[in-house]
Amino acid sequence: MISLDQTFTGGWIVASAEAVAVVVIVTGLLQVGFYVFQLLFAAIALSTRPPVPRGATLWRRYSDQAPPISLLAPAFNEELTVVESVRSLLALHYPHFEVLLINDGSKDGTLARVIDAFGLQRVERYIDDRLEHANIRGFYANPALPRLLVIDKQNGGKADALNAGINCCRTPLFCAIDADSILETDALLRVVRPFIDDPNLTIAAGGTIRIANGCIIDSGRVVRIHLPRNFLALVQIMEYLRAFLMARLALGKMQVLTVISGAFGLFRRQEVVEVGGYSHGTVGEDMELVLKLHRHMRDLKRPYRIDFIAEPVCWTECPEDAKVLGRQRSRWQRGALECFAKHKSMAFNPRYGRIGFLGFGQILLVDVVGPLIEVFGYLLVPLLYALGLLALPWLLAFLAVTFTFGVFVSVATLILEEVQLRRFPRARDLAVLTFVAVVENFGYRQLSNFWRLQGWWQFVRKQQSWGTMTRKGFGSAASS
Amino acid sequence: MTTLVSLWELSLLLCLIALLGVAGLLAARLVGERRSRRREDLRKILLPALMRGDAPDVRPSRLARNVAANLTLELAEIVRGSDRETLLQAATSAGAGEELARRLRSRVAQDRLIAAEGLAMFPSYCGDVTRVALADPVPDVRLGAALALAQEGRAPAVGTLIRQLGIGTSENSMLAISLMRDLVKSDPHAVEALLYDLDLPDAVKLAATEALAESGAVDHAPLVEWMAEAAEDDRELRPRIIRALGRLGHPAGHDAILDGLQDNAWQVRAAAVEAAGRAILRVAIPRLAELLGDHEWWVRFRAGEALCRLGTDGHQALHQVASGADPVARVAAKATLAERRSA
Repeated sequence: MISLDQTFTGGWIVASAEAVAVVVIVTGLLQVGFYVFQLLFAAIALSTRPPVPRGATLWRRYSDQAPPISLLAPAFNEELTVVESVRSLLALHYPHFEVLLINDGSKDGTLARVIDAFGLQRVERYIDDRLEHANIRGFYANPALPRLLVIDKQNGGKADALNAGINCCRTPLFCAIDADSILETDALLRVVRPFIDDPNLTIAAGGTIRIANGCIIDSGRVVRIHLPRNFLALVQIMEYLRAFLMARLALGKMQVLTVISGAFGLFRRQEVVEVGGYSHGTVGEDMELVLKLHRHMRDLKRPYRIDFIAEPVCWTECPEDAKVLGRQRSRWQRGALECFAKHKSMAFNPRYGRIGFLGFGQILLVDVVGPLIEVFGYLLVPLLYALGLLALPWLLAFLAVTFTFGVFVSVATLILEEVQLRRFPRARDLAVLTFVAVVENFGYRQLSNFWRLQGWWQFVRKQQSWGTMTRKGFGSAASS
Repeated sequence: MTTLVSLWELSLLLCLIALLGVAGLLAARLVGERRSRRREDLRKILLPALMRGDAPDVRPSRLARNVAANLTLELAEIVRGSDRETLLQAATSAGAGEELARRLRSRVAQDRLIAAEGLAMFPSYCGDVTRVALADPVPDVRLGAALALAQEGRAPAVGTLIRQLGIGTSENSMLAISLMRDLVKSDPHAVEALLYDLDLPDAVKLAATEALAESGAVDHAPLVEWMAEAAEDDRELRPRIIRALGRLGHPAGHDAILDGLQDNAWQVRAAAVEAAGRAILRVAIPRLAELLGDHEWWVRFRAGEALCRLGTDGHQALHQVASGADPVARVAAKATLAERRSA
């Protein structure tokens, strides 16, 4: 593939270039192979998943045995949306649940708005003390609303707020959610299924997150699914489909799920307390918790399951601005690297079985070296071509395979979505998303890798900040 | 050069597959949308007819049977008693039963499950459900069919059903408890007999125990005796048995609960504390007060709850501990009292 230019180079330059090219190609092929593997497993997982009953049947069958759940919703400076979010959470269809809203030291009127809207009064609560968190300033409740408890604490970050929530929760299961996300009314009944079907084994389960930008939202419910007009939001819809309907579904089927999204995950409280809850000082606390659970259960040689369920849907708002999206992506990258570094002893360690090989292999391939190699490839290939070391037909052929494979994976995910879930109401939406799947390869994909490299750089420099995540709010989405 | 050509061919193949996939999706959508309009028209005719219990005035067709079956499933969830019987008669004449029986052999497990649940309501098709759905290769379908049959009081013999579903061996779902509750309604003594079947796993016995404990259909004395004996064994099921004893509150179970308060496993202690509160076991008050200083939060929390349930004596014990020497117990007692006051 590399043409030897005798007059320009010595043999060592060619040999080095060849070696680097081989590393890039082999990594690329491994990634492609892993994606194909994931697609196959995702298809198997979707076609063999437990039959999904309709809402009414679901309630009839599962409500009797559904274990009580505490919904932990950390809130920081969310005075504009917090009341609507709590109303939407209180309206969920689930037999026994409690909403624990954790005001994580908001500097705006978040707490005052909730107190006013729900007529809350200060109460006392006897809580567990096993997890560390910043000081709790008080509890607020209303006897007429026994399902709501507001925990007011000093600011400590999301992980800290969730730990406070876990200490306050009195149910065997807790569901960690983002206060500004929207859960479908039967999402809890759907995500709790593995805990009912396999109560002795299941310790955690995650559900699908979807992008709400463009959807019509009324009274905290997604009433009509529409695609957004913003290109960045459209691309993220494809990304979320690939991440949830391909990657997580497949990894869940293989029992090597390494992330349950912080926006919506259900956990058995006991095991989470045993591993010390969410870790402070990391931006990937959701991924880290799952890795800690794997490690803990493997160390104790206790059988367990961590599942992913495709149906329960949590809607979230995604950034439509490149600057905000870039910050989010570099933070995600940093989180993955921090988790990998913290638990590197699990990687390819036979003691941790498939999670050590497949789970960590996937993190290494996709999150750790993936962006480096891809960006390196983008730089190397034109350089080799300019130096006359790479023939044009090879350059074009490799680019063609890279891009067509990207399109193929996206379309395959869309097919899975359409055959098994069918959430997009109009045929036109499918056509638009297919177009996005093609176009995203030219420009967005490279930009995304640049953000991930920024995350790498922040990780190397041990930067800890979260960066500001500005949201438009669902109110404006509804009107769009 | 062969590798280069292969790369281009691979790209073309990937493009072609993606293109065909999308074209297929769009075509299926368009066909589906046309079908759904016809389906909607049929629904408008069939819905009032089924609600009235009339024979529907539509040309018999596969689509009409399909719509009738779906409507029946939807409506049957919301109507009861004689209204449901009327609905099922009309649905039968519209071909809903026939359609559901066909779906019982569908390739898609979801369809088979829904069909089995629906068909269990039609007395004339219960034999099909028993024969086909209870032998389904997918466990969820088998369990769903069993639950539906049991709810209608048409399940086969309890022992056979338990073994067919593999409850306690291959089937560990908590829905087994719901199943047992429905089975108790139609044949309590057959469920009771499960307790004395040595071949059955503990999980079956526990599900039977919980179902029997909740029903008033059996004499509780022998059941409690059995439960108390079972609670003596060092088994994982012990906390659940003790909790069930607490719900029953039968005096014959008190000793087992009191023993549980001394257990080494905190899960058993927590269950026993809860049971002592539910069964209003005043004799347990001193031990409950001690357990306010337990090293496990769940035991301390449940002990506080139990003492509150035990009325004046329990409250008195809480006040005593709140001014006592043990700092852990003191905090637990104070916090429990403060919570009760502010509630």
